[in-house]
Amino acid sequence: MKVLVAVKRVVDYNVKVRAKADGTGADLNNVKMAINPFCEIAIEEAVRLKEAGVATEVIAVSIGDKSCQEQIRTALALGADRGIQVETDGSPEPLVVAKLLKGVIAKEEPQLVILGKQSIDGDNNQTGQMLGALTNMPQGTFASEIKVEGDKLNVTREIDGGLQTIALNLPAIVTTDLRLNEPRYASLPNIMKAKKKQLDVYTPADLGVEPSAHLTTVKVEPPAERQAGIIVESVEQLVDKLKNEAKVIS
Amino acid sequence: MAGFAGAYDSICGRAVNAAIIRIFGGGFQVTLAPDLLDKLSRIVGANKLLMDAEAHVQYGRDWTRVETPSPAAVALPGSIEQVQALVQLANAEGLAIVPSGGRTGLSGGAVAARGELVVALDNLNQIGAFNSIDRSVVCGAGVITEQLQQFAEDQGLHYPVDFASSGSSQIGGNVATNAGGIKVIRYGMTRDWVVGLKVVTGTGELLELNAGLIKNNAGYDLRHLMIGSEGTLGIIVEVTIRLCRAPTDLAVMVLGVPDMPSIMSTLAEFRQQMELTAFEFFSEPALQKVVAHQDLQRPFDEPCAYYALLEFEQTSGSEMDQAMALFEHCLEQGWVLDGVVSQSVAQARNLWRLREDISETIARWAPYKNDLSVVVSKVPEFLTAVEALVNAAYPDFEIIWYGHIGDGNVHLNILKPESLSIADFAEQCGEVSKGVFEIVREHRGSVSAEHGVGVLKKPYLPYSRSPLEIELMRAIKRSFDPNGVLNPGKIFDL
Ligand SMILES: Cc1cc2nc3c(=O)[nH]c(=O)nc-3n(C[C@H](O)[C@H](O)[C@H](O)COP(=O)(O)OP(=O)(O)OC[C@H]3O[C@@H](n4cnc5c(N)ncnc54)[C@H](O)[C@@H]3O)c2cc1C
Repeated sequence: MKVLVAVKRVVDYNVKVRAKADGTGADLNNVKMAINPFCEIAIEEAVRLKEAGVATEVIAVSIGDKSCQEQIRTALALGADRGIQVETDGSPEPLVVAKLLKGVIAKEEPQLVILGKQSIDGDNNQTGQMLGALTNMPQGTFASEIKVEGDKLNVTREIDGGLQTIALNLPAIVTTDLRLNEPRYASLPNIMKAKKKQLDVYTPADLGVEPSAHLTTVKVEPPAERQAGIIVESVEQLVDKLKNEAKVIS
Repeated sequence: MAGFAGAYDSICGRAVNAAIIRIFGGGFQVTLAPDLLDKLSRIVGANKLLMDAEAHVQYGRDWTRVETPSPAAVALPGSIEQVQALVQLANAEGLAIVPSGGRTGLSGGAVAARGELVVALDNLNQIGAFNSIDRSVVCGAGVITEQLQQFAEDQGLHYPVDFASSGSSQIGGNVATNAGGIKVIRYGMTRDWVVGLKVVTGTGELLELNAGLIKNNAGYDLRHLMIGSEGTLGIIVEVTIRLCRAPTDLAVMVLGVPDMPSIMSTLAEFRQQMELTAFEFFSEPALQKVVAHQDLQRPFDEPCAYYALLEFEQTSGSEMDQAMALFEHCLEQGWVLDGVVSQSVAQARNLWRLREDISETIARWAPYKNDLSVVVSKVPEFLTAVEALVNAAYPDFEIIWYGHIGDGNVHLNILKPESLSIADFAEQCGEVSKGVFEIVREHRGSVSAEHGVGVLKKPYLPYSRSPLEIELMRAIKRSFDPNGVLNPGKIFDL
């Protein structure tokens, strides 16, 4: 079984991002970049399927400029067999990404596509679902456990009230939630080997997609600063302030 | 514990005027006379003089558990003047003072077990003037180390002294112990960052030392005598700290290593070509305990005898390739067996936790800690000798090795078997320690690399310091604290 994993290059989860002074976006100058944490989980799951003898080949695909090859190499070090970069300028919106992935799927014909449920930069939570609609493949989103049984895939999903298990016909799309697995570290010997693994570069045109923008970013600004707290002298004063200043009780 | 008799006598000898002393069991309790309590509370305020048993346990001990805390009172001064008044009163009334910081010390330096007055600096916790040109900041002694690190970060700068207890230890305590930590290989010890000190001497006078200067060769630098004096020469009340550029994009590698000499070969190889910000090590049993108790992931499955953790900055973009090439070379030489590298800040933190959480993890086994150092070039032969002795001497004890091996500093921890009492265990360890310290002496090393002497290492000081040195230390102590009110019985007996 061939598994395709989508990998996105994003600002490291632990970096405090700052808005650019002119409000056109986040300042990404000299900021540490990393694999989107949910994509890391997706790679780990694919590699585990391979180690369990279920998957035969794991392909990591990333969409972006040349720098995203770094994240593809990491995916290769973590155990993916080969990589694909779809070369685009900047970071296309979810619909374009889904269309490009659809193009890759048409070329590779994987049985299973694993994506993160969202990327931590845009927080869109759309790509997997859009890809499901575009390809007509069944989707299991927010997966906390997956099990391949014959030509079916059982996906346990994290939903508001608890867990839901659904069975999908393969080929299928899965998006990962945090509890699916704990990704391993990239081993240094594997990073060395990953340098020699195949990495193909496609243009959107190769995949028959013309990137178009349906969204315009109007303004990016930091959240309002929290006001300093005060220490009240007594319960009466607290109640008074809650009533008359904050107006949260009456 | 023959070493304590002297301290005991000197305190009791002077303290009888002011206190009623009741001796019971192994310990004793000092009850201060009401008028003395009154004087104390007039200095700091009644609510800043803690007399309850719970506070006395809390403030009467550090991280060590060998002695039973038993202070006479705990004072929390709110100003430098109050600290001075407390020291003056102690001189007048023959009271012994234990200066107390975050009490994370590992040598019993902040332990008050003999009816002393604990002077806790917790409330001198203001971060004061910051000067961006001098890149310096003035801190009250009670500022928590982490608070200073955060402050530096908020200014776009960095305070590089760091270790697992920095969330609780205080700057005053760090200076009093000259704390080292996990970045010494690149940034040095606390000493290297102190550009000014305010200290209340044993007579209650206020000394202002160095005032932030970088260059000041006008006579003896008393600041450096105060640093590492473990509360025996003065009470540090204010510290001016130098800050530095924040490191860029730190990468962390954990390497599996077959034996101690290979760790050192790996270190030498990396250091020749790269500037490391850390080079630490730990043993497989240490890793197993941390992984089991802190819910962390092993770096890789294959068990190795030891692990080296190294860290470097990525400023130019070429460092990772260089580190990879060095790794490859070490692999070919058989010095390393496997390794991982952090791909994100979160992974870097988790890899660090494998090393940093060891101390806290093994605390449940009440370990006997040795904090040894030799010059880096002697580490392999030193460790071979210590390992052979320890393995022969403690066939039934579990040994946990870790430490700042890039500085020639190793922590040898012996875990207490459940069947032994703390006292019996300490005694047995103390016996074998003599053998270990004999090896330290042969290698001209230190019996306390960074944890200080306190009470735990006091009997072993002569293994690292000559009689002449110790005699001169006593003379210095008498100059700053003629009546011996500051932390008596710590480091050495008078
Ligand atoms: C988990 C853990 C990890 C650690 N790792 C390291 C490490 O890597 N490197 C290292 O060097 N240490 C380490 N330590 C030891 C300890 O944290 C340091 O020695 C620290 O500097 C102690 O600071 P403190 O404020 O807790 O001092 P305390 O324990 O309160 O006091 C230490 C000594 O300083 C004196 N003192 C405290 N404050 C003052 C003051 N204002 N004026 C005068 N004297 C004072 C006390 O009397 C005592 O003798 C570790 C401890 C723990 C628990």
